[in-house]
Amino acid sequence: MNVLLKSLGALALLTLSSLANAFDLQQLSEQLAKPDVIHGQFTQEKHLRALPQPLISRGSFVLAKNHGLLWLLKTPLQQDYRISAKGIARRDATGWQLLPNKSAGAEQNRLFLAVLQGDSSGLQRDFELALSGDAQKWQLTLTPRSVLLKQVFNQINISGGALVNTIELLETQGDSTVLRMQDSTAGQPLSDAEQHDFAE
Amino acid sequence: MTLPSERRLPWLFLILLLAVVALGAWQWRDGAPLSANLMELVPGTHPDALELRAEQRMQEPLNRDMLVLVGHADRQQAVAMAQTLGEQWQASGLFEKVQWNLQADLPALRTQLLQGRLAMLSADDRQLLTEHPDAFIQQRVQALFDPFTGFSLVPSQDDWLGLTGRIQNSQPQHGAVQLDIGSGALIADADGKSWVLLRARTTGSAFDMNQPLQVAALLQHSREQAASANVQLLAASGLLYAANGQQQATREMTWVGGGATIGILLLLLLAFRRWRVLLAFIPVLVGMLFGAVACVALFGHMHVMTLVLGSSLIGVAVDYPLHYLSKSWSLKPWHSWPALRLTLSGLTLSLITSAIGYLALAWTPFPALTQIAVFSAAGLLGAYLSAVCLLPALLKNVELRPAQWPLQLAERLVRLRENLLEHIRTPVLLALLIAFCVGGLLQLESKNDIRQWVGAPQRLTDEAQTIARITGYQPTSQFFLVRAADQQQLLERQAALSERLDQLVNLDKLQGYLALNQLVSPPAQQQQVREALSKLPQFWQPLLEVGVPLAALQTELQQLQTLPAEDIDAALAGPLGEPYRTLWLGPTEDGVAAMVSLQGLNNPSLLRVQALDLPGVMLVDRLGDLNKVFAQTQISAAELKLASCVLIVLVLMLPFGLGGALRIVALPLLAALCSLASLGWLGQPLTLFSLFGLLLVTAISVDYAILMREQVGGAAVSLLGTLLAAATTWLSFGLLAVSSTPAVSNFGLSVSLGLAFSFMLAPWAGRQAHAVAVTERSA
Repeated sequence: MNVLLKSLGALALLTLSSLANAFDLQQLSEQLAKPDVIHGQFTQEKHLRALPQPLISRGSFVLAKNHGLLWLLKTPLQQDYRISAKGIARRDATGWQLLPNKSAGAEQNRLFLAVLQGDSSGLQRDFELALSGDAQKWQLTLTPRSVLLKQVFNQINISGGALVNTIELLETQGDSTVLRMQDSTAGQPLSDAEQHDFAE
Repeated sequence: MTLPSERRLPWLFLILLLAVVALGAWQWRDGAPLSANLMELVPGTHPDALELRAEQRMQEPLNRDMLVLVGHADRQQAVAMAQTLGEQWQASGLFEKVQWNLQADLPALRTQLLQGRLAMLSADDRQLLTEHPDAFIQQRVQALFDPFTGFSLVPSQDDWLGLTGRIQNSQPQHGAVQLDIGSGALIADADGKSWVLLRARTTGSAFDMNQPLQVAALLQHSREQAASANVQLLAASGLLYAANGQQQATREMTWVGGGATIGILLLLLLAFRRWRVLLAFIPVLVGMLFGAVACVALFGHMHVMTLVLGSSLIGVAVDYPLHYLSKSWSLKPWHSWPALRLTLSGLTLSLITSAIGYLALAWTPFPALTQIAVFSAAGLLGAYLSAVCLLPALLKNVELRPAQWPLQLAERLVRLRENLLEHIRTPVLLALLIAFCVGGLLQLESKNDIRQWVGAPQRLTDEAQTIARITGYQPTSQFFLVRAADQQQLLERQAALSERLDQLVNLDKLQGYLALNQLVSPPAQQQQVREALSKLPQFWQPLLEVGVPLAALQTELQQLQTLPAEDIDAALAGPLGEPYRTLWLGPTEDGVAAMVSLQGLNNPSLLRVQALDLPGVMLVDRLGDLNKVFAQTQISAAELKLASCVLIVLVLMLPFGLGGALRIVALPLLAALCSLASLGWLGQPLTLFSLFGLLLVTAISVDYAILMREQVGGAAVSLLGTLLAAATTWLSFGLLAVSSTPAVSNFGLSVSLGLAFSFMLAPWAGRQAHAVAVTERSA
């Protein structure tokens, strides 16, 4: 056996062991899928190429494993959204209004839920996933696979610890959106009002 | 004994035959001039060139496109199979275009959206902008912060007012089909499976008879390939119906033609016990040749349905030689030329009456029947000529010693009838018969539908329905044709129509529609949008508050004001115009015209009402019109029948006098009445085709009455001649009854019934003290 082959074999062993020790997608998925309900605050920054200042909005969110997502925008304007298996709904004076199911939009929201709930199998279909860091501090980079998605996104970066902290969407047109999730807590169950919102 | 003229006749006929063969060969020089297009068979209901053009435009995708759903519980596997099949199909060379994923050209889409910001705004958005500009701005502010609007194709800085996003969202939804953003495939989810849409357009040479068969074969192969990977394929296309129709026509032609031929040859052999008697089949072949050549000469091609129905001519054509062959039971010894001389007048009368009957069909508005009439009349003439000129020469030295059993059978039948008449007199029988007729007629139901022309197998229609359910695509054959002086007026007229159609959609009477005014608004309204936009600075404060720079808004408004008005052609050129392109008919003799296509219709009469008071708008409902034509034709067919009877009476008056002629014609009419009654008793509907069949029976069965009345060689021999003629004719028409095309089988059934009754009634034709009888004795 020559030296080259030996060193190659050693390298392979090394790679395998490092793979086994590293924080992998499977573990990330399990970690993110653990909590039943997450409550938190968010800040959304929309960086538009032509604007000197980003468009900033703030509010709170509720992510419930079996129900979906409540996204309650507080400032600069008030607007409640709900994403569930039924689709996206927006609240107006009369109650929740299901928005027409636009194919591209529906697909994007499926992605959004997949990201927040750590459903990597759902993401792997459409993106190349690259994970770095450890369970306390990780970063996941999503690069679109399909020609169609490549025309829309350059990259999506997600980072966090026990829960997702930030999501950054880099669009091909030069705009980007950063979502920061703060003060997320996993302990609190759904309130009656929240349960009602999901049920309606 | 052969007359000199009888020596020349065969040669003259052979020269004619040679000429016809040469003409036929020339007609077939580029392959078979056959057609399988169903629409060629049904009447053209309108002479309007524009309507015809519109109709052809709407039909083209039916005849060229194939829609396939590739289904599997796992979305990825379905997509993978669709991709594999798509590549295979593209490589097959059968298709001009095969598409399984959306190759969206986003830059072109962006350009079109930006260019069309004034012209492509929907009516609702226009209204909001002009009447509630404050709400318009408020919604835009919301959208800027909304994380869930979905990505918009045009970045905000190019469209601060969000007009492109509104245009994007107001495009009509395409059924239940969704874009899979990963693969670009169009997918519908149903029945626990993901169905990927695969669309293919054939290279489309309408005259290529092989293409539908090749496409069907490729599909079958793909089905098997998919099934081995547990993937299910559903397909819908006019091509599949065409392929099925062709296969069925070939199969039935083989059955009807082959069955009739074998049956008739057997009958000839059993009755005459001479191999040479099989030569009697020559008139049949010559008849088919004449028919085909005449048909192609007159119509440029021949339809496969003509061939199927025309193959029944076999049974009628063989009757001519039977006329004199059957005389071998009474003429001893039998010689061909003298036997012919004896029966020549009967033969000629028979040709004339049959030709009158067939040609009566030619006056119906159905191209199919005109073709069949021409085919049959020319075929009968050919058969007659060969039976009169050629066959006797070929049979010259044949001594016929026919089997005695047919004659004994005929004699027994004659005695049976006499016995019957001894017990029950004719008037009583007639009364019984009329009672039978009245009872049957009361139960007779009329039914006419274009669908009787198509023997579409359940499997194909089921699949098409499943596809319609899964995708929500339910194309209907009806559409609106809108004419106007110019584009402005056209779009206004379409808008007026759209308003009514929207109501139907809201009431669930209509699933949807596609009209040019959904893509582009009239120039006057584009100007209104421009004016409304110029007032916007009073309302856009909320946008400034969230940080949108004033300069940016002002520049954008400037651009919008200078955006040129967009016309239909410009709007159609972009990628969003693709689904609308077939709808635009462009400039016409007196202005412009376009169509409005419809989806998922369940009540055509509602549509007709919509167009009533809208100027320039008309509903084109080919199927509905056809069904109406069917019903009207039923009446004219009955009139034709009477007219042909009058004509036949006139012809028959020469040899038989008025009384005899009336009696001879009354019998087939009574037979026709009995067949109608039988249809009633059997619970079969009366269709246009049964009527046409009975029209034919009149013509053919006059022949039997003539045979019986002339009584050359005695009652039993005449009855035998009639029996043989009826049996051969029945062999070919009766076999049509097994056809899986309802129209053809209905035709076969009514002719069969008519023939049976004609045979039974023929002996009442009376007896003619006739000059022919004298010649017979002297011969």
